[in-house]
Amino acid sequence: MTAIRYLRLALLLFAMIVLPSALSAHEAAMGVLEFREVRPGAFIGRWTMEPSIGAARVDLRVPSHCLLRLPEMNCGQKGLVGSITIGNLGSNMSVVLIKVIPITGEPRSYTISTANPVVSILGTGAPTLEAWIELAKVYVNYGIDHILLGADHLLFVLGLIWIVGGGWRLVKTITAFTIGHSASLAAAAFGLIGVPERPLNACIALSIAFVGVEIVKQQRGETGLTARHPWAVAFTFGLVHGIGFAGALAGLGLERRLLPAALLFFNVGVEIGQLAFVLLVLALIWAHRRLDAALPRWGEALPAYVIGSVSMFWFFGRIARVFAAI
Amino acid sequence: MTSNFRCGLISAAMLLIHANAAEAHIVAARLGDFYTGALHPLTDVQDIVLWIAMGVLAGSLGSTKGRWLILVFPLGLLAGSALGHRFGVASTGLADAAMMLALGLMLAAAARIPTSLLCPLAFGLAVIRGAANGVDLGPETDRLLFATGLVCMGYVVMTLTMALTLAFRSTAPDGSASWRTIAIRALGGWIAAIGLMMAGLVLAS
Repeated sequence: MTAIRYLRLALLLFAMIVLPSALSAHEAAMGVLEFREVRPGAFIGRWTMEPSIGAARVDLRVPSHCLLRLPEMNCGQKGLVGSITIGNLGSNMSVVLIKVIPITGEPRSYTISTANPVVSILGTGAPTLEAWIELAKVYVNYGIDHILLGADHLLFVLGLIWIVGGGWRLVKTITAFTIGHSASLAAAAFGLIGVPERPLNACIALSIAFVGVEIVKQQRGETGLTARHPWAVAFTFGLVHGIGFAGALAGLGLERRLLPAALLFFNVGVEIGQLAFVLLVLALIWAHRRLDAALPRWGEALPAYVIGSVSMFWFFGRIARVFAAI
Repeated sequence: MTSNFRCGLISAAMLLIHANAAEAHIVAARLGDFYTGALHPLTDVQDIVLWIAMGVLAGSLGSTKGRWLILVFPLGLLAGSALGHRFGVASTGLADAAMMLALGLMLAAAARIPTSLLCPLAFGLAVIRGAANGVDLGPETDRLLFATGLVCMGYVVMTLTMALTLAFRSTAPDGSASWRTIAIRALGGWIAAIGLMMAGLVLAS
């Protein structure tokens, strides 16, 4: 019963924050840079609104195959494809709008800001095979990086493995987690749900604490909710974690037309990273069994308490940040 | 063997011995210092050969003796990493070659080493390699994260190598030594040969 109450509390908190958040406008030190294509792959750039720090001091970084010497930028046959960023965004220059005016087709605008420091450009014309490969490379890698650096996501998956063990139950549980986070990642990326980042991160920490409690219950011989319905718990918390993944994707300032493909590639990257982690953990469990290396009786509960303590440490830290921001 | 081929072989060996950590720095830029620490040993042939040799030796001695290394080896890496930072001591090529030779010979001879000798041996090796990994870090590197990554990789490599060796070294139903045991001893011979070659190259240069 305690586990159900705990899950209800987490879901209530989650439901409270799954409300589209209003954006608050603020005055920004802004610059507008226009790139006009004069012949295929060759652009003339000019600042139509110079930032307060001066155009010469802007550290503009364009894709490596583009040669930038303002006012000229030459991207050759490949065209303007890849990531554009500014290295010295800050309080003096927090937003730069980049307009790309192609020879043919509609002009496009990209916003680089401290919140979205990198924009990805697929090209001004119809996407070529090279452009798709570039996009796949960037977002699969980004997905792998995101999951491998996300200790909270990995700790949650570790907790699930600990409770479920191996076999088909684990396959079903991990699949449910994948479906859950893929669905909410897509919903958040398409703007169907909006969640403030800080309370969401606190909720993710709470989901790990829940798994920690469930491990302790299992060790005491009680059958917790996760042990009974692991796929349901994995799916529910997968929804929460997926919105967290979307937060990372939103920071890249993607073009709307690229969003479905980028989302797919990003999710593929996340799955590759997650699968690698699950396989590593399973290999280590097998190795420990083979070596008859189990924790002594007095230390059996230690991993659960470590998981619980770390997650509650994160939870209180993240909740403090929520209140600090109010 | 022609002299050109011999030169090529020696050059290749020298390149392997002096493998640098450039790849780890690419990882650092991308995934941070924990993964730099975890992947740093994989960029150095001394670490790869010595860690695997230690794991195979411990695994071939059986689970009762080998499982101690799950704790001892990572702890040694942690101590070595701290020592390398504090005193700036690093392993020399000759010391690495000597350790390779010794471990290889023990494997080849199928020496029955007692736990009381195996643990200090593994701890010493880990301290030396931990120091070698932690000595040349830049000031921008987070040493705690680096050491954590190194220790985690030590635990993973040692545990998996020992378990795989145990699984591989299955005996026949009648208890007689199978061809697998002979293969492990042959591997020991190869490791000893690598150690001998490395020692020769270090002394010659």
